[in-house]
Formats: sequence, C-alpha cells, structure tokens
Amino acid sequence: MDVYSGWKQPSWMVDSKRMRMTLNLPWLLSALTLLHLTIQAHSLKRGAAQDLKCTTKNMHVWDCTWSASAGVSPGTVKEVCIKDRLNSCHRLESTNIKIAALSPGDHEVTINYLNGFQNKFTLNEKDVSLIPDTPESLNLSADFSTSTLHLRWNDRGSAFPYPSNATWEIKVLQNPSMEPVKLVSFNTTLSGQDIVHHWNWTSDLPLQCAPHSVGIRWYIDHHRFSGYKVWSDWSLLKNISWTPNSETNVFPQDKVILAGSDITFCCVSQTKVLSGQIGRTFCPLIHLYGENVAIRIQNISVSENSGTNVVFTTEDNVYGTVVFAGYPPDVPQKLNCETHDFKEIICSWNPGRPTGLVGPRNTDYTLSESISGKSVAFKRFETLTNESYRLAFQMLPGQEIHNFTLTGRNPLGHAESAIFINITERVVPHVPVSLRVKDINSTVVALSWHLPGNFAKINLLCQVQICKASSEQEVRNATIKGAEGSSYLVAVDKLNPYTLYTFRVRCSTETFWKWSKWSNEKRHLTMEAIPSRGPDTWREWSSDGKNLIIYWKPLPINEANGKILSYNVSCSSNEETQSLSEILDPQHKAEIQLEKNDYIISVVAKNSAGSSPPSKIASMEIPNDDILVEQAVGMGKRIFLSWHPDPNMTCDYVIKWCNSSRSEPCLMDWIKVPSNSTETIIESDQFQPGVRYNFYLYGCTNQGYQLLRSIIGYIEELAPIVAPNFTVEDTSADSILVKWEDIPVEELRGFLRGYLFYFQKGERDTPKTRTFETGHSDIKLKNITDISQKTLRIADLQGKTSYHLVLRAYTHGGLGPEKSMFVVTKENSVGLIIAILIPVAVAVIVGVVTSILCYRKREWIKETFYPDIPNPENCKALQFQKSICEGSSALKTLEMNPCTPNNVEVLESRSIVPKIEDTEIISPVAERPGECSEADPENHVVVSYCPPIIEEEISNPAADEAGGTSQVVYIDVQSMYQPQAKPEEEQGIDPGVVAGYKPQMRLPINSAVEDTTAEDEADKTAGYRPQANVNTWNLVSPDSPRSTDSNSEIVSFGSPCSINSRQFLIPPKDEDSPKSNGGGWSFTNFFQNKPND
Amino acid sequence: MEDPQADSSISFLPHLEAKIRQTHNLARLLTKYAEQLLEEYVQQQGDPFGMPGFSPPRLSLAGLSGPSPSHAGLPLSERLRLDAAALGALPALLDAVRRHQAELNPRSPRLQRSLEEAARQARALGAAVETVLAALGSAARGPGPEHSATTALSTANSAASIFSAKVLGLQVCGLYGEWVNRTEGDLSQLVHGGVA
Repeated sequence: MDVYSGWKQPSWMVDSKRMRMTLNLPWLLSALTLLHLTIQAHSLKRGAAQDLKCTTKNMHVWDCTWSASAGVSPGTVKEVCIKDRLNSCHRLESTNIKIAALSPGDHEVTINYLNGFQNKFTLNEKDVSLIPDTPESLNLSADFSTSTLHLRWNDRGSAFPYPSNATWEIKVLQNPSMEPVKLVSFNTTLSGQDIVHHWNWTSDLPLQCAPHSVGIRWYIDHHRFSGYKVWSDWSLLKNISWTPNSETNVFPQDKVILAGSDITFCCVSQTKVLSGQIGRTFCPLIHLYGENVAIRIQNISVSENSGTNVVFTTEDNVYGTVVFAGYPPDVPQKLNCETHDFKEIICSWNPGRPTGLVGPRNTDYTLSESISGKSVAFKRFETLTNESYRLAFQMLPGQEIHNFTLTGRNPLGHAESAIFINITERVVPHVPVSLRVKDINSTVVALSWHLPGNFAKINLLCQVQICKASSEQEVRNATIKGAEGSSYLVAVDKLNPYTLYTFRVRCSTETFWKWSKWSNEKRHLTMEAIPSRGPDTWREWSSDGKNLIIYWKPLPINEANGKILSYNVSCSSNEETQSLSEILDPQHKAEIQLEKNDYIISVVAKNSAGSSPPSKIASMEIPNDDILVEQAVGMGKRIFLSWHPDPNMTCDYVIKWCNSSRSEPCLMDWIKVPSNSTETIIESDQFQPGVRYNFYLYGCTNQGYQLLRSIIGYIEELAPIVAPNFTVEDTSADSILVKWEDIPVEELRGFLRGYLFYFQKGERDTPKTRTFETGHSDIKLKNITDISQKTLRIADLQGKTSYHLVLRAYTHGGLGPEKSMFVVTKENSVGLIIAILIPVAVAVIVGVVTSILCYRKREWIKETFYPDIPNPENCKALQFQKSICEGSSALKTLEMNPCTPNNVEVLESRSIVPKIEDTEIISPVAERPGECSEADPENHVVVSYCPPIIEEEISNPAADEAGGTSQVVYIDVQSMYQPQAKPEEEQGIDPGVVAGYKPQMRLPINSAVEDTTAEDEADKTAGYRPQANVNTWNLVSPDSPRSTDSNSEIVSFGSPCSINSRQFLIPPKDEDSPKSNGGGWSFTNFFQNKPND
Repeated sequence: MEDPQADSSISFLPHLEAKIRQTHNLARLLTKYAEQLLEEYVQQQGDPFGMPGFSPPRLSLAGLSGPSPSHAGLPLSERLRLDAAALGALPALLDAVRRHQAELNPRSPRLQRSLEEAARQARALGAAVETVLAALGSAARGPGPEHSATTALSTANSAASIFSAKVLGLQVCGLYGEWVNRTEGDLSQLVHGGVA
C-alpha cells in the first residue's frame, strides 16, 4: 500500500509561516527528504502520479493538485476515488480536483487513468494547507499633520468557520528603498461576519517627506483544523503621497513634542538643499527622495516661548518650521479650596513643573465638582509663571460637601488632582472693614466692624488686638454668632482711663481653618477717670526756717487717669489750716509761711474727672542724733543704697538727694521705697560723674519722717582736676620738708585716696627733669595713703644739689595733675671746712720739709745749681735743646741762636667760661725755684660758698620758658680765666687790625676750621714767622699730670727760646662739661659723692 | 510740486518750514526706533533669526514692497507720495504682527508695546508727510494700500506656518525701518531745499 505521510511545501512558500511546525528543523528536513525519495521510487516503478498537494482557503473545500507521472499526459485522467466516502469517485480529465473537506484521519485516494494506470495516495487533513485569500484593503488615508496613516480592510469573516483567530501582518514601505519601515502583526477573531478593521500608524518621518505604501496579509487559525496555516499573499500596495505646494516645504509644521524626545524634520525641495539647522546648530542631512532631505534631532530640549526654529537652506531659498518642545502638565500641587464668604469657593494650586509651552499650547485647567456636576475653566494668564493659580467656583445653596477634580491639559497630555472638602471647615473670612470704637466708660469701649459674607450657619471666632502707646500688646478672643452680611459688635473692657489704644480685628470660624487678615488699625483715647492716688510729696524748710517748701511729683499717666489740671495744697494743724488752691500744672512746688510747728500737709491732684485722694506728709522730722556719714560710689547713672530693716518704719522709706555743693535747702529729687525694702537703686539723668551728692535716707513712722542715714557719694569717681598746692617749709643739706594743702571738693571729683610724691635730682632747665619717666631709676616715689598727712620730710639728700619735686593727688578715678618744684639743698659746712684745712696743712708740711731739706743741703744745692762759675755742660737747658734739635729736623729753627728775648704777652682765652655755681677761691701756688724753664703748673685751690639755691617751678613748660617763674639764684663765681674771657663778639676781631708786634704763629686751640682761618689770616700778615710745625706740639691742660712731667715729649715748653710757651697756660675748653670742672678741683666736690658728675 | 511753482525753488512759509522740520525730526527719531524694533523682534524669535547670514527671502505683501532702487530717481513729490502711501500701509501690517506675537510670545509685552507704538508712529509720520504734501499742493494717494496689505497679511497669518509668520513679521519690521529711513532722507532733501 502506498502511504503518503507527508507533503512537501512548495518552493514559493519557503518563507511562509508554518504554524504546526513543532519538530525541529533538521529532523523535519531529513524526514521529508526520505519521504520524497520513497514516493519517487514508487512512481517511477509503477508510472504513478506525483506531489499530491491539497490546500484550502476556507477549510470547507480542499483543492488538490498533483503532477502526472512520466509518460502520462494530464488529460488521460479518468477518475479520482476516495475510498471511505460515498460517491467517492469524481470523474475528471485534469490533475486538479476540489473536494469537500475530509474528516480527520487518513483517506485513501485513488487516481485512475484512461490507460489503466492507477495512483493511490493517502490524504490527511494534516497535509492540507490553509491559505486564506489575499486581503483587500478598503482604504488607506493619511493625516499629514500628524504623519499618521489610517488603513481599513474587511476580514471577510463570514467565509470562515467561527470563531477563528486571524493574524494580520501589515507592512509600510517608504520610498525610495521600498524596504519595510514598519512591519507589524496583530490578531483578530473571525466572528462569522464580515468585519471592517482599522489600523493607524504614526510615522517618525513626516508623511510629506516621501511616498508611503502599505500592504497586508493574514493567516487563519481554527482549532479544528489540523493542517498547515499559511500566510496569504500580500495585498496590493496602497500608496500615499503628498502633493507639494509652494508655501510649505518643511515638515512637520508647528509641532508640539515632548522635550527629550527624538524628531525628524524633512525638507521637500526641488533644488539642492545646502544645510539644515535647528536653532543655531547645523545637522547632517539625510537624503530621502529626490532632493528631499531630513535631519534627525535627538533629545530635543525645551523650546523658547516662540518655539525652536528649524531651517533648511537651499540654493535660492530658506525654508523653515517651528517646533515646540515642552512637557505635559504636571500634577497640580497643593490644591486647596476654601471660601471667604460662603458664596464662592476659591481653589488654588501650584502648576508644578513648567511645561515650557505658552500661548495656545499652554495648559488649560478645568475644575470639576462631581456632586453638583458643575465645572469651571481656568482663564489663562500668561503673566503667571510659577505662582499659585486661582479659580473661583460658585457655591450652590445648601451644598457643604464638595468633591473637586482639577484637570490640566496641553497638547502633550493631561494631569489631574482631586480634593474632597466640607466647605464649612474651610472658611477664611474676608478682612473686617469699617472698624469703629465707641466709649462706654473710662475702661470699656464697644468695637464694631463689618464682615462681608454669609456666615449665618456658623459661629465666628474673632480676635481683638489691643495695643497701648507703650507698645504693650494684648489679644482677646471673642466668639460671635455669624450672620449674613452683617456688622459685628463686641465690648472690650479692662482698659485704662485716658489711654491711647490701637485696635484691630481679625476673624475665623469656630472650626478653625485660617485667620483672616487683620483689619486696619483704629486708634482711640479712652475717657478720663479721677486720679487713682495723690502725688508723691516732700517738704523742706527754708534756710531761715520760716517757710515750708512743699514739693510734689507729677502723677504718672497710668495713675493720673487724665490730664492733671491743678493741685490743691493745704497745711493743717490743731490750730489752723492754710490752703493753696488751683496751683496749675506743671507747677509742682509751693511755699507756705509757717511757724515751726507740726503741720499735716495735704496735696490733691485734679483732672476733669475729679480730685485724687489726698497725699499727706508731716511738716516736722523726728530728730535723730546718731547719724553717721557714709560713702558710696555708683556706676553709670545709678547708685545702689542699702540699709538694715527697721521695724519701726511702718510707712515707707524716702531717699532724697542733692548736690553737695548747693546751698540749703538742697533738694534735687526724692523717691519713695516700700517699708519692706532694704535696698534701692537710685537712677537719675541729672547725675553726673565727678560730682559729689548727698543722699539722705528717711524712715516713715506714724509720727513722721526720721533721718536714718546720710551718705555722700559719687555716681562715678574722676581724677582730680587740680594738683595739691605744696610748699617747701624747710631745707637742709640732706633733707627737705614739704607741706601741702587740701584740694577743694569740687575739684577733687572723687574720694581722695592719697598722694604720690616724686623727687629726683635735676634742675629746671635739664630736659630729663621736665617729666618723670616711668621706671626711671633715679626717681624716688612716695605713696602717701594717709590723706590726713599734710607734710613730708625727704631725707638722705645730697647737699647743694637741685631736686625736682612733684606732688599729685589721686582718687579711684585716677591721678590728678602734678605740681612740681625745684629745690637746691644747702651745702655741707663740715666738708667745706675739711676742704680748706687739708690743703693748707699739706702746703705747710711740704713747705717745712722743703725748707729743712734745703737748709741741710744748701751747700750741695749751691754747688749744683748756683755755682760761682757755672759749667755750661751742666746746663740742662742746653742738653735738652741739643737732643731736641738732633731728634727732629722739623725743629731746627729752634736751635739756640743769639736772639732777642720776646716780649711777654697776655693771651686771650677763647673758651667760654661755663656757668659755675660754686664759689671758687683760686690761689696760684708759688713757683718752685729749682725747676728751670718748665711750665709752671697751676694748682687751683677752690673754696666754695653757696647759699641754697631755690628754684620753684610749677609744671608749666610755657611759663618756664617765658621766665615767669620767680627764681632766686645765688651764685658766687671766681675764675682765674674769667677776667680774660671775652665775649663772643670780641673774638671776631680781626687780629690783623691789632697794632704792634705780634708773633707770627698761632696755635690751634678749638677746631680745625679755626686753624685754617687763623693760618689764612696769618698768611696775610707780613714779617718774620717761625717755621716751627706747631702741629707736632701736643696741647696738654695745665691740670693734666703730664704737664709737670719733665721727661715727657713736651719738653719744648722749657725752651728759653720759646716764643709762645705761654699758650699752654690756657686750658682747652671741655665741651662735654657744663661746668668749669677743667678749671680746677673743688674740694667740695672732692669730698662729696656725686656719681652724676 | 510737479507744477512749475513746485519745480522752481520753493519759498517756504515759516510755518510750513517748521512743519517740514518737525516731520523730518520725527522721521529721524523713528529711524532709531525702527532699528530698536527690528533688534527686539529678532531677539524674540529665537535662532537663527538675527544671526549673521540668515536672510530669508522676502515674501510678497500685496500693496507694500520695499523702496525700489529707482526711488531716488523719482521727483521728490512722487517720492513723498510713495512714502506716505507706504507709511499708511504699515500700521495695519504692524498690528497684524503684534497680534501674532501676542500669541507666540505672550510673555514679551515689551515687544508688543513696541509694535503697537511703531504702528502709531508710522501712522503719525504718514499723516505728517501727507500734511506736508498737501501744504505743498500735492495730494497723497489715499488709504488704498493699507487695506490691501492688511488683507494680505491676515490671510498669510492665518494660513501660513508660524515660521512664515515670523519671517513675515521680520519683513514688516524691516519694511518699517526702510520706509521710515527713506522718508527721513526725502524730508531731509526737502528741508535743505533740494526739490527735484
């Protein structure tokens, strides 16, 4: 039996889909190949038909074909019989037959030929292919604005058993490549009826950019058909093309797209497109069809308000379009709905992220209320950006519950937000208006205001803010029954009389949601009331004790309760009563002539509302002899006072104070302190630093006031403004007694804490004594803390020495100015005596010893110094001259030559005699006869007497310089050079003018300049001039020990030929010494220890 | 001015001379305003508007075109008549541009104000030039171009794309500057007595 178990799929169906292909492909290919080979073998052997193929379009009729065997023409077929079917033989003359669908299972098919051949096949439904007819699309249309294709077709479902699943495949082709740009498949169900299907597709590339074609095919899957399901043929392509116009060449036009997405723009052009750009960015061109090009924009950014321009430039034109890239609406945020007046509901929200789209592309909002079914649209305000949007919804009477949905839409999408509210719990009243205030009495006012809105069904909660002028603020709540469009009234009590208040109001509801805004402020002055108490009162007796001065203080505004118009004062005793009426404010003092008896003074303040309770005080004080004066110092403008509690004081304490420098009765002010207090701080703007005040503490008893304490004090201590005035009471050689006076209180400016006394050596004109430098080692300081001490003796001083004395007072506020004085101590008389006696004694001893020696050696002396016949070889003078002449060629002019002795001439001293305070007695020592031709040393014996030099100096440099200070200086000066000293103006006399002989050589004495001048002048002088080089001569002071040394180099002094040896008798000026120390020694100085000297 | 009196040297009456000078000053002022308007306009349109090298071709505006190259060769009176006609047509065009910009750039009120003022100023300058022409004995051509230009632009605005509207607005702003500038030049000749 020939069994066909398989069927080879035609070659043109290779790419078709086989739905029953459950085996894997290699196995299937092997089986088919084997089956084919088997059939071929049978056919060739028996001359049978080959390749029986059966297909069906609708599963009702099978269409089978086969190919005739070799040697058998197709027209020789006689009949085809199917074995297990009635009337199963079909006569035919071709190799094709249509038969009704066979039941599942194998069926034997026999093909009989006219020539007697016979072929047998086994036919099974599984071998039949279901190939539906090619679908025919009814319509293909395009929406060019959205680049969308719309396809319609009929599935012809009535021709198929139902339900059947149909799978469709649609392809979209785009010129020029004709490759599918889109291939999509989807399923439908055949319901036994012809159904028209729709398919839409939006192209990335605008449809205008290129012709588009669409084809469709399908296959059917029925659960009872076990054969092959094969795709139908593709339908004929339907084409869509755009007819270009002259105006628009770039696509898409004015499109709104999501920011960040990709988009393709194309330009339809007949000429070559040179460039394409978006904004200022040029993009690579994609060539499409003909000269048409496109550019692809990826991740496009949010556009400006006017959109993003896309421009294509051709050789002769510029084409463009605008794209708007933005975002769909964000979900409305912070959606809130509330009412101000129960007439409309105001919903506000935040739009969230900006869409980047404006104008017609901006977001439109719609507020819908689901219960009432009403909705309102939001009117676009272009000026709004990110602030809250508001929308008013008219309330329906009686509706409290609202379910709002807010929807925002723009071309890119929509978003919504919902809120469910009870409007009675979302009330924010309007601002209260027409606020008015009306007096009820001095402490109560009525406040009224208007509140627009219908609040009839709820209670209002309102707040009244009360502000006093002193910025004190109070808020009071009031619950009010609501009404419709009504005014509301509340009473505000507990106010102060005659006080300026500022009122304002805001309201909410009892079910609090939000406060309204505050109303405008309303200022109001409450009515006056009588003063709550009498004024603070004090009294003082006049200095003569005949008048009583009554003081009172103005009442503070919170106690005056109105404007005080006048005061009434009365003084009453057992015998009489005196009154002073209508003392107008602001006078706060009255004086009444009274005997010094006990009176009760009463003071009453009056305003327009009435009189205050009287304030009473007794005229007399309770005496107290046990009063100590204490000290106190304050801080800033305040001073702190404390006292011990006194149970006897039952009323209060009074502290009064006054400036201590004022005359009695002195009263600056007073304060009252409760009787249970033991301390207080007194503060007054009148207090000034450095001023002494007297404070008096009074205690109040039933009998009157009693002085308890007296305090002097300063708010702040300052340094004294004057120096203590001091004088020198006594002066000795080693001590000075100083005495000073008190500083007046007004100038002390604080409590005196002591004195500082400085002293040091120094004279008035010495710079270093002008001021005392801190830390100077020579300054001696004495701190006198005993302020009762008024004298000071300074001991251990040096005699005949000038001292600089300074005295300063100090307080805790600092040091006061200084007062200084110069004092010279007296001379030490014992030292003076010793200074005289010791040289005399030494001279006598030396004279006696010399006389004795000369007497005993008189023969030797005579032989040696005064022989009868002098031996020239023994003449020292000649030896000396010889050695000199041999040793120095420069002194050859001094060789012994017969010469005429020079005249003796007295030289002028060019030195200025310094100021010498000592009194010097200078006695030249007698010449020693044995010392031939040596310079005579001059020994000065100085005997000084100096009465104390007193120099008084007040530290006033200007005054010092002006010489205004009285000064007495006792100076006795003698100097051996003084008669020879010449004023400086005389030194300027030209020596050439002097007549007579003059030695032609002058020695330098002072300076090289003068040397030069002198030499120049000498050059002008005619006559003989010794050629000695005087520069080689050393000038030695006569008081120098060297001057007496005969072996020294200065032996030329002794030359009998010296022409000017006298010059060395004049000592050079010691520039560094202000005194004539070089002129001789003072015995006084010798015996004194003067380190400064 | 085409009559012999006009072609000869014109003896300006003082008030006429003052009017001409005033109109000339107005034109000179509007020249600067027109430059500012164009600058502000291109700034609000985004790139590549205002970029160097971006010069879209001129669209056809019925009833109004730019001053032709032969304008300078015309008699002065004819030039002033053309100026007045163009200035009469510009306000409607500027208003149309303003309406479009109000929709396109709603958050740029300054540009809208500038366009509104430009329309008013063009109208004032056109009226002033007509007054001068009338004083000189030459009548203007009437309000014809304004109506046709308005119609053309309205049609263009409604049908054309936004890009075309932008280009059209650019062209209108440019025309405004060109005509104001040309008017200023023509009035300058009149001020200096250079009547052709």
